[in-house]
Amino acid sequence: MPHIEAQQRAVAINRLLSMGQLDLLRSNTGLLYRIKDSQNAGKMKGSDNQEKLVYQIIEDAGNKGIWSRDIRYKSNLPLTEINKILKNLESKKLIKAVKSVAASKKKVYMLYNLQPDRSVTGGAWYSDQDFESEFVEVLNQQCFKFLQSKAETARESKQNPMIQRNSSFASSHEVWKYICELGISKVELSMEDIETILNTLIYDGKVEMTIIAAKEGTVGSVDGHMKLYRAVNPIIPPTGLVRAPCGLCPVFDDCHEGGEISPSNCIYMTEWLEF
Amino acid sequence: MTQAEIKLCSLLLQEHFGEIVEKIGVHLIRTGSQPLRVIAHDTGTSLDQVKKALCVLVQHNLVSYQVHKRGVVEYEAQCSRVLRMLRYPRYIYTTKTLYSDTGELIVEELLLNGKLTMSAVVKKVADRLTETMEDGKTMDYAEVSNTFVRLADTHFVQRCPSVPTTENSDPGPPPPAPTLVINEKDMYLVPKLSLIGKGKRRRSSDEDAAGEPKAKRPKYTTDNKEIFRSLPVGYNISKQVLDQYLTLLADDPLEFVGKSGDSGGGMYVINLHKALASLATATLESVVQERFGSRCARIFRLVLQKKHIEQKQVEDFAMIPAKEAKDMLYKMLSENFMSLQEIPKTPDHAPSRTFYLYTVNILSAARMLLHRCYKSIANLIERRQFETKENKRLLEKSQRVEAIIASMQATGAEEAQLQEIEEMITAPERQQLETLKRNVNKLDASEIQVDETIFLLESYIECTMKRQ
Repeated sequence: MPHIEAQQRAVAINRLLSMGQLDLLRSNTGLLYRIKDSQNAGKMKGSDNQEKLVYQIIEDAGNKGIWSRDIRYKSNLPLTEINKILKNLESKKLIKAVKSVAASKKKVYMLYNLQPDRSVTGGAWYSDQDFESEFVEVLNQQCFKFLQSKAETARESKQNPMIQRNSSFASSHEVWKYICELGISKVELSMEDIETILNTLIYDGKVEMTIIAAKEGTVGSVDGHMKLYRAVNPIIPPTGLVRAPCGLCPVFDDCHEGGEISPSNCIYMTEWLEF
Repeated sequence: MTQAEIKLCSLLLQEHFGEIVEKIGVHLIRTGSQPLRVIAHDTGTSLDQVKKALCVLVQHNLVSYQVHKRGVVEYEAQCSRVLRMLRYPRYIYTTKTLYSDTGELIVEELLLNGKLTMSAVVKKVADRLTETMEDGKTMDYAEVSNTFVRLADTHFVQRCPSVPTTENSDPGPPPPAPTLVINEKDMYLVPKLSLIGKGKRRRSSDEDAAGEPKAKRPKYTTDNKEIFRSLPVGYNISKQVLDQYLTLLADDPLEFVGKSGDSGGGMYVINLHKALASLATATLESVVQERFGSRCARIFRLVLQKKHIEQKQVEDFAMIPAKEAKDMLYKMLSENFMSLQEIPKTPDHAPSRTFYLYTVNILSAARMLLHRCYKSIANLIERRQFETKENKRLLEKSQRVEAIIASMQATGAEEAQLQEIEEMITAPERQQLETLKRNVNKLDASEIQVDETIFLLESYIECTMKRQ
């Protein structure tokens, strides 16, 4: 707009800013102005400058949300003012509070229509901040059954041992497809999620994993290698010590001959002997 | 020697040899090496009895003697040998499976008598076998000797060292004749080897000329062709299938078998230390699982795999709700299955600014568990003795009745009279006897099972200590 004087331009811009029609942004070269689209402009009509400031801060936080204390630091407003403004904005349905899964007392604020980020809600395993342990258990068992049946069919095929072992392996991609087809999960599960479940099976000692190098482009390979899983049997049966009542006794340290608790009058032994 | 071990030794000695031997034995275990007079003085028993007790103990290889300076002979007991007495039933059973009844009887005789000459053993065993065989047949001495020689070849029995007769400065007991004793360390190797390994064992026993107990050897390499040649005939495994099995064994993540080279079609090695470590870890995991539950077992295995891990990460990896995970970690920590490692962020070690990492030290956990095993077996033996003592009256009565019946049968009594005598034991009493027998058997079997755990843990601890 070269034909209008700088002075007049400044006045006009200031007026537009105060009416809430323009956004003020800073860049390397100087100040930039952007026209707000009418919807947004309408929203902020009833609010004053402070509210606009807070709203902007929350908007900047993106989908991770921002804590009320951080808002206070950024805007330098006193706490009471902040709380009033936040309540106002919430009632106007412009922002919402989301409870963080990491620290359950903390509330983060973000724009109303944004999806909260995974790190805040905890991802597929959490629904409303609650850890879904039954869901995990069910998935656990299903994956294990799948791998077990695969191993069974491989063993019964009675071919030479190498083929038997190789066919009892299942890649994480296969397991993922199986679980998706089962349809027991309402939430969409990614391959990493399935891998975390399979890891818990490894920690249960029921499954072992190997990594093989796979060509880029084969189904299910990540960065040139694939993870294969296989159901295994435990290497020893429950050990001798736990078959005797002493192995599981909660008062083991107090037990000695001639005392209140002794082998002669041990109730656990009596029960065990009657079994 | 821990209290638990001493208690167990005293119970075993008492059961097998009686009060006096027990007193002397326990005293020696407690106080180490001592000369004869001091033993007699400290335990307050007469010199004569002490000599007899020591005789029994030396005969059974539980006590050894040595000449010290100034010509004093000192006696020393070995606690570990006394604890081996728990394992006798397993030795006999193993020999039975490998060498049938003849072998079983030979080993049994040797275990009962401590040391014996070969001729004495052969004679006794042959006589016993002749008794049980059909009338008219006698056991061939040669066959028994044969089995004996085979047992000696595979190191189930071993020759005792004999004291040279020219040693006149030795005021100790007179030199023993060449006698034979059970080499205990070798016995337990047999159940551990797999089916394919049985062939290997025979081959390697030929190589092993020095008679070194096999448990001490860390690994021995055998090559492909040898394995193939030494497989038992009935297996019907072709060369390729054998190759595949060997490759599978070598590739297995448990790493029991390793491949050390390609000469001769592939050289294979057994990693005893790794195998023992895996077995000991599996034992620990099994104990955690039975005592605390399978979720705890999951956490335990997780910490084992990751070596050092923070509490928050435990919750994430194991997929267990935070509260429960915390509870389980603390429980295992208090039972000494796990330990904490502190890593401070600031020089002033403030708890809020320190990392706390959970870790499992397998060696110390194994030691703790071993100690618990000893105490458990002592408890089981005590309970067994208690049960027997409770029902002593009943047992004596039943013994008397049996003796009467036997004597009456020998003199040819009538059915009716026998019936009368049998009815002296009423039905509920019979029931009680049955229960008693069942209980005692159960306790006995349980002792042997706990001994299995002891064996694994002891082997692992010994193997690890040797490597360090």
